[in-house]
Amino acid sequence: MTIELTTADDAIRFGRSLGMSLRAGDLVLLAGPLGAGKTTMTRGIADGMGVSGRVSSPTFVLARVHSAPDGGVALVHVDAYRLGGDLSELDDLDLDAELEQSAVVVEWGEGLAEPLSEDRLVVRIERHADDTRTVSFEPHGTWKARVDTLP
Amino acid sequence: MAKIIMGIESSCDETGVGLVAAHDDGTVELLADEVASSVEQHARFGGVVPEIASRAHLEAMVPTTHRAFDAAGLSMSDVDAVAVTAGPGLAGALLVGVSAAKAYAAALDVPLYGVNHLAGHIAVDTLQHGPLPTPCLALLVSGGHTQLLRVDDIAGAITEIGSTVDDAAGEAYDKVARLLDLPYPGGPPIDKAARDGDPQAIAFPRGMTGPRDAKFDFSFSGLKTAVARWVEGAQGRGEEVPVADVAASFQEAVADVLTAKAVRAATEAGVGTLVVSGGVAANSRLSTLARERCAEAGIELRIPRPRLCTDNGAMIAALGAHVAAAGHKPSSLDLSANPGLPVDTVLV
Repeated sequence: MTIELTTADDAIRFGRSLGMSLRAGDLVLLAGPLGAGKTTMTRGIADGMGVSGRVSSPTFVLARVHSAPDGGVALVHVDAYRLGGDLSELDDLDLDAELEQSAVVVEWGEGLAEPLSEDRLVVRIERHADDTRTVSFEPHGTWKARVDTLP
Repeated sequence: MAKIIMGIESSCDETGVGLVAAHDDGTVELLADEVASSVEQHARFGGVVPEIASRAHLEAMVPTTHRAFDAAGLSMSDVDAVAVTAGPGLAGALLVGVSAAKAYAAALDVPLYGVNHLAGHIAVDTLQHGPLPTPCLALLVSGGHTQLLRVDDIAGAITEIGSTVDDAAGEAYDKVARLLDLPYPGGPPIDKAARDGDPQAIAFPRGMTGPRDAKFDFSFSGLKTAVARWVEGAQGRGEEVPVADVAASFQEAVADVLTAKAVRAATEAGVGTLVVSGGVAANSRLSTLARERCAEAGIELRIPRPRLCTDNGAMIAALGAHVAAAGHKPSSLDLSANPGLPVDTVLV
């Protein structure tokens, strides 16, 4: 299954519906080249989850925790671009967040962040010359059954 | 009698210890500025490892402190107050500086001030150019931050007017450098490559400059994507990428938006002084364009020298000096690091 995204608004809209289906313990790996729209999609995910705080690129700070105002599932937004070594535990990031209460979205995390959770969804974004994007999925764990529920 | 303030910075890769003298006339004098960097250690691992950043701070803290006192010709008993970065930054890294500062403050029985890293980047200018006229405007540009701030009082009243909605300016430099096969951090090599290039060669987009965009916010993600597409296009056609022209055109787009928005904000607010600080302030095109546009608009421009623009302990000592001189209540010894400390909280 693939999805075509024509504009940045499409990426946010898709992110929003993905965000609405995220549970605590979920791991989403966003893959794609520079400028694919990973941070833009994460902005939609945050909106769908209803978490607080402005989503901007966490490349420099490595990770940012967006908590849910109602004590619900928090979003941990990680950027592994500058990270050396793998990411086997959330503790490696020195965050004040527990995987049991959060969904983790990792940019540039392929080959690094897989050990974080069995229930992971790889979202691959391909950018075309006309600036449209094709999104494809690689589901693991419970995502094998859940991926079909995505729009 | 001058008061000696010690400043400790450990929010990211640099362990900094600075010493300043706060004089009765309000001037603050730089006595020592020692920095140890863990950038090389990270390079060995091909990136930042938070654990290693924290450990590197831990290992560097005491030697860096000793170097600072040696350089200033002072002893620890001369210290009248200790200031430390309480945030924003990496949690584990901040914790090392905060713990050290608490220990020094407790052992020396002097006040402790937990202060804001971002405000420190502005306060550092007073070490070079004297007391800040207020209100003034500050453009803070670094690897992690891109913010336009209004400063009514460096010791307490700082308001954000605008900030980046996606990537920081310095981050865009790092990513474009990677696209062009230039080394990390990307600022200096792009600046150097741009010298031989034509800044008008490629019309890269100016983010957030449309009529409906937030007037004083920034966006550099679209610019980064435009550069990526342009480079891929050239490669796809089998052409050699004109690195100098791409670097110069990219740098022009960044400097253009940063300076245009900063000068416009100063003009609209009727503020006569602009401070440009943070690591990217060392960029030659940014400083040249800022100088031109400030001169046209009749705005005084203050850019601290490059050594003061990057992270250091002297900036925290300088901010501590201003906070102490303003008579603010010191922080408690229960002070904790706050990775997400908002810019309007100068003192914790």
